[in-house]
Amino acid sequence: MTDADGALAIRTESLGKQFGSVWALQDCSIEVPKGRVTALVGPNGAGKTTLLRLLVGLTAPTAGGATVLGRQPGQVEEFLASIGYLAQDVPLYKRLSAEDHLKMGARLNPTWDDTGARERLESLRIPTDRPVATLSGGQRAQVGLGLALAKRPQVLLLDEPVAALDPLARREFLASLTAAVADGDLSVILSSHLLHDLERVCDHVILLAASRTQLCDDIDKVLAEHRMLVGPRRAVAEVKGSFDIVKAVQTTRQTRLLVRLTGPAIDPSWEISEVGLEDIILGYMGQDGELTSGALYSLGAAS
Amino acid sequence: MTSLIWRLHRNQVWFASAVLVVLAVVLLITGHVMADDYRNALANCAATPGCTNAGNLLFRGDGAIMDIVDLTLVVPLLFGLFWGAPLLAKEFEDGTNSLVWTQTVTRRRWLSSNVAWALLAAAVWGAAMAALVSWWRFPENALGTRFDAFDIQGIAPAAYSLFAVSLGIAIGSVIKRVLPALATTLGIFVGLRAVIAIYLRPHYLTPTKQVIGIGADPNGPSGAWVISSSIVGPHGQVYGDSFSPSDVPKACLQTFFDKQGISGHCMATHGFHQLVSFQAANRFWAFQGIEAAIFLVLAAGLIGFAFWRVLSRDA
Repeated sequence: MTDADGALAIRTESLGKQFGSVWALQDCSIEVPKGRVTALVGPNGAGKTTLLRLLVGLTAPTAGGATVLGRQPGQVEEFLASIGYLAQDVPLYKRLSAEDHLKMGARLNPTWDDTGARERLESLRIPTDRPVATLSGGQRAQVGLGLALAKRPQVLLLDEPVAALDPLARREFLASLTAAVADGDLSVILSSHLLHDLERVCDHVILLAASRTQLCDDIDKVLAEHRMLVGPRRAVAEVKGSFDIVKAVQTTRQTRLLVRLTGPAIDPSWEISEVGLEDIILGYMGQDGELTSGALYSLGAAS
Repeated sequence: MTSLIWRLHRNQVWFASAVLVVLAVVLLITGHVMADDYRNALANCAATPGCTNAGNLLFRGDGAIMDIVDLTLVVPLLFGLFWGAPLLAKEFEDGTNSLVWTQTVTRRRWLSSNVAWALLAAAVWGAAMAALVSWWRFPENALGTRFDAFDIQGIAPAAYSLFAVSLGIAIGSVIKRVLPALATTLGIFVGLRAVIAIYLRPHYLTPTKQVIGIGADPNGPSGAWVISSSIVGPHGQVYGDSFSPSDVPKACLQTFFDKQGISGHCMATHGFHQLVSFQAANRFWAFQGIEAAIFLVLAAGLIGFAFWRVLSRDA
């Protein structure tokens, strides 16, 4: 598998990972262009962590393949130098200080940005001389992000970086990330089971649900392609139009459809409205968002 | 890599160094005293008519010190528990493997450095301790048999230390939690050491057999390790543990002890002998070499296994 045009940060083809008899990730084919900040969303257990670990080479695929910047993830220094990874719960050596971690990073990475990393921690007033176990969750997350950024990676993968943080620390973390992305030519993927956190900083979205990719596109395009159709109640099977039905909700009098447009022709008897990203995501995840009333059944991904 | 390893493990290294220094001071002082006592005892024995065993004139040292020296038996195990088992298990338990394995260093290089330093530390500390104990035990060795303290002197303790650390690392690569890895390392190390010491070690080389008279000293030549001693009948039949009063010729059962005593002289005239099976003192180093080789081969296999686990499998 080669990245012919060199414009892709990440490309996977039928990527799958099986643990025992369970597929943690299945048939995942995505392409993420360089320079995007991508939200990797999906319910717990959808395979987000597995996908990220496959992309950084901590796990080997059972099926399919992946390339990051055209390279296969693996035990090659050239590849390892190009990625930055922050695992879930920000693992750090508890008894070591932030200073110790910076020294470690400087020793282990040829492209280490020591000044930048120190300035970042200093501007956040994070004590660098205390064992990181004594820091707050938000401070530890910032240390973890600082370590990942100081490698000067081209692709940065963050696994649920803000899940355990309070709202203020969450905002600060995302602000640091946004600043770092603005600085250079960096592609970022950050996962979360809450899209809300990521919507402001991301311009691309990957949706994993039921171990499969449901969506992988620029957010603008996703918003442009999805519409909510509301009309008198009718049988879903008889609905015709140039769209795929993502989710249908029937109330006693109405039929509401979340659709992905494939062409311009829509029966004018529908009342058409735009849909927010969160509702689109929830529609794919088969969960209730605002569409709480009435019998609910999902047709799953149509594309 | 080295500086990270040092930062992570400096406390253990300081602690081990402190213990070794204290042990060294205690052993150097008491060892000198004991060596002086021993030389004096030899001189006195030479000057005393009828003295055949200088050990009888010797104060054998302080009991507590003897116990401390015997306790160095567990030091290799401690290396396995505190240096070996956590090496991988702690990384997995804290998830820090995913931090360090995504730096610009391959897992092979990371593991090689970690394993090399752990093994080097175990070998150096194990060898230093064994050298101290070997020196300290010189009078004891001269009077008794070095085989009595086979496990705490010579080159074996360094090999045990290397094995213990390798075992801990290999177990940590499978059981990715520190406490279960510690417990498993403890169980396997103790079990294997006991099985090898009890069942294998006596047979590294074919024991020398010696037939001696009934009533003679069954301790073999000076410094020998007696594997077994048994009674041999007039037709060459060997009675091991199953020697019973019915095997004794009736004439030799002494009546004046309610038929419970046996006359050794009578047994000898009826053709009975003792068979002593022993390993001679000069085989000590051969045995040390064989024992060390066994544990080094095991250690190498375990390290190979740990590499295979870490390099070829999912982190």
